Amino acid sequence: MQIVIASGKGGVGKSSVTASLLYLLKDEYKLIAVDADAEAPNLGLLLGVTEWEEEREHIGAKIARINTETCIRCGICMQRCPYECIYIDDEGNYVVNELTCEGCNVCGLVCPVPGTITLEQVRSGVIRKATTKYGFPIISAQLDVGRPESGKLVTEEKEWAKQIMKELNLEHMIVDSAAGIGCQVIASVGGADVAILIAEPTPASLSDVQRVYKVVQHFHEPAYLIINKADINPGFTKLREWAESEGIPILGEIPYDSSIPKSMSMLKPFVEAFPESKASLAIREIAEKIKEEVIQ
Amino acid sequence: MQIAISGGKGGTGKSTVAINVAVELAKKFRLVLADLDVEAPNDHLLLGVELQNEREVNQFMPKFDYSKCIKCRKCAEVCEEHAIITLKDGTPFLMPTLCSGCRACEIVCPVPGAIQEGSRLIGHTYVTPTPYNFILVTGKLREGEERSMPLVVAAKRRAKEIEKELLIVDTAAGTGNTVSKAIEGSQLLIAVTEPTPLGIHDTELILQLGKLMGIETWVVVNRADLGDVGEVRKRAEKYGARIIAEIPYSENIVKTYVSGRPIVTTDYPEAEIFRKIADEIYRFLRG
Ligand code: SF4
Ligand code: SF4
Ligand code: SF4
Ligand code: SF4
Repeated sequence: MQIVIASGKGGVGKSSVTASLLYLLKDEYKLIAVDADAEAPNLGLLLGVTEWEEEREHIGAKIARINTETCIRCGICMQRCPYECIYIDDEGNYVVNELTCEGCNVCGLVCPVPGTITLEQVRSGVIRKATTKYGFPIISAQLDVGRPESGKLVTEEKEWAKQIMKELNLEHMIVDSAAGIGCQVIASVGGADVAILIAEPTPASLSDVQRVYKVVQHFHEPAYLIINKADINPGFTKLREWAESEGIPILGEIPYDSSIPKSMSMLKPFVEAFPESKASLAIREIAEKIKEEVIQ
Repeated sequence: MQIAISGGKGGTGKSTVAINVAVELAKKFRLVLADLDVEAPNDHLLLGVELQNEREVNQFMPKFDYSKCIKCRKCAEVCEEHAIITLKDGTPFLMPTLCSGCRACEIVCPVPGAIQEGSRLIGHTYVTPTPYNFILVTGKLREGEERSMPLVVAAKRRAKEIEKELLIVDTAAGTGNTVSKAIEGSQLLIAVTEPTPLGIHDTELILQLGKLMGIETWVVVNRADLGDVGEVRKRAEKYGARIIAEIPYSENIVKTYVSGRPIVTTDYPEAEIFRKIADEIYRFLRG
């Protein structure tokens, strides 16, 4: 089974909840974890991974380059680039901004001087594998700064994870998705069997989780909700009301607990670092519910 | 003039810094705040305003006129997104969600009129007046759309249409090319970070981006009491960046965040920290 954990917005505690859930589910199930936040991966850190066993470069992004020797400075490429990535430098040369180029090759197609603009394949990032000290493997990715295609990195991560699942005979893939609703999230959610949404009771988090829920609906996947930092905003009932009106079962509420940020600096799942804390007790109940309602 | 507020990872308090600095600087400049976190735009919620003046962002999509198409497959070959599939006999078909609207297919098609102008709604931009004497421009990607780049470009363009002295850009999380697109053109980049091991890792990436872009970069450490600011300082020094403020974890900030009221408009002591950040920026811009 493939379970994706998503939140829409960053900073609601998705990765720390995921790390704790993995910790609680690891003894009973054969798992693999996938950190699908290729722009800010941190699940590996939270699970105490310090070294990666295997690393694969992902060559996939394409970037246009202009040969200034042959360029006649007509400016057509600059006019036609759909994303405004070509500029004129101090010496009057037409230059592609490699940190924003999407690699569509429109500039190369419109340039009147053949061979002046070439589309080059560049590294878009790395994908890594480690075995956590808890016994289950994790796949993580890191997009290189200024590169497009983080979605393709995530797709590749999941492919690798599937391969490992076959080799090791694993049952479940838990995908910690990125913030937002764009290509990384679509790649994370697509192909999952069920989505667990994490939100905090704030207007911003509600708005973002509603957006990610639409993406989940698009793939016709069942969804569940966990309310994190449930007590930071007393009186805010809209999150609960929304879940009820959409028929999204609430797996539980985790109170704000200062042991969570502390466990993060210890680089440990909070259920391991502070097993008796309020948050840990709450997440234990949630893990039980996941066993009963989601996985079964 | 343009400055950017970014953060590497999500949830560091980037938007809180952006809106508070905007409220303060609006006393000195005619300014526009552009929320370019198009996958999760929230500045309007933190400012307690409803989005207004909606404008559609439509993207080109090829529409094949099969009576003209000669089935040469050129369009499919040139599409970097592999959005066009062809049947055995060469008839092209579009898979709309993969199309980025770049027009490469249209450019190479040898038959005039075989590819016609289709379009797809991919999101919206908004221009919203705020009670704080500045204008908020927001880009919002439609759910199910994969590419945020066109929305970032459209929202930034709309923000630039408005006559102003200062543009403040609030970016998405991460350090991919849509974040660099948002930052592009800024004189100053402010990286909002946390002093946790996770925050430090991401700080390094955003500092790297600032350096690659050749933009002066400052660091604001949020929830500074939750970790080791010394570690952040080391990274900042490595990239020639300066820490300009440390914000402690504060219930008051959480309270105002949740209620849609910028903290600089309150009497809470924490308001002073944001005012100082705004002052530093003011002095930098007045040079
Ligand atoms: S490849 Fe596309 S995005 Fe890159 S510079 Fe050329 S036209 Fe612009
Ligand atoms: S279209 Fe070609 S020749 Fe013209 S400015 Fe661009 S690179 Fe130079
Ligand atoms: S517009 Fe660009 S992405 Fe869309 S089908 Fe044509 S070549 Fe492919
Ligand atoms: S390039 Fe034009 S003529 Fe050739 S297959 Fe595509 S649409 Fe048809």
